[in-house]
Amino acid sequence: MNTGPYSDEKVQRFLQERFIPVRSRCFWDNPTPLMQKYGIKWTPTFLVHDPGGNEHHRFVGYVPSDDLFAQLGLGIGKIFYDTDRMDEAIRQFQTVIDRHPDAGASPEAVFLKGVAEYKHTHDAKALRRAYDTLKAKYPQTEWARRADPYSAIPL
Amino acid sequence: MAGIQWETDFGAALEKAKQTGKPVFQDFWFDD
Repeated sequence: MNTGPYSDEKVQRFLQERFIPVRSRCFWDNPTPLMQKYGIKWTPTFLVHDPGGNEHHRFVGYVPSDDLFAQLGLGIGKIFYDTDRMDEAIRQFQTVIDRHPDAGASPEAVFLKGVAEYKHTHDAKALRRAYDTLKAKYPQTEWARRADPYSAIPL
Repeated sequence: MAGIQWETDFGAALEKAKQTGKPVFQDFWFDD
């Protein structure tokens, strides 16, 4: 139950303190109602739900500790973002970027932080700054390409 | 730290989430 990244005490503490952790077993020959409800086609699949049970983030496949931390942080940020708590979303995305700059989830955090800042301040320069950061630090990622239209925004 | 105290009942996890205000982290796993 506590193997892979779950054997890391920091991961254990973070999951226990910040989340309600739940494991749902899968059976391919007889999919459970939860598998059907959430369309689970491969394991491991990880979901982050808000306290009301609404899904905000998912990722599929094994992740090492640093990537898991970043995905969990991104999931928390997306709960804030999806519920229009932009100030908190910005801080949460920045935490992911600062603490896990090399993690796979960080480019998405940069992108969403830029969008959240724009929604919060109505200043389009936030989108341009997101583009600049993605182009400089994560140029090969899909998120850098998604931000490409923001390159035309003057600083 | 004595490991992660996993909930196995999703409904119970949601009830705890509502009580604590914490989000739920759900791991769908397969034991082959």
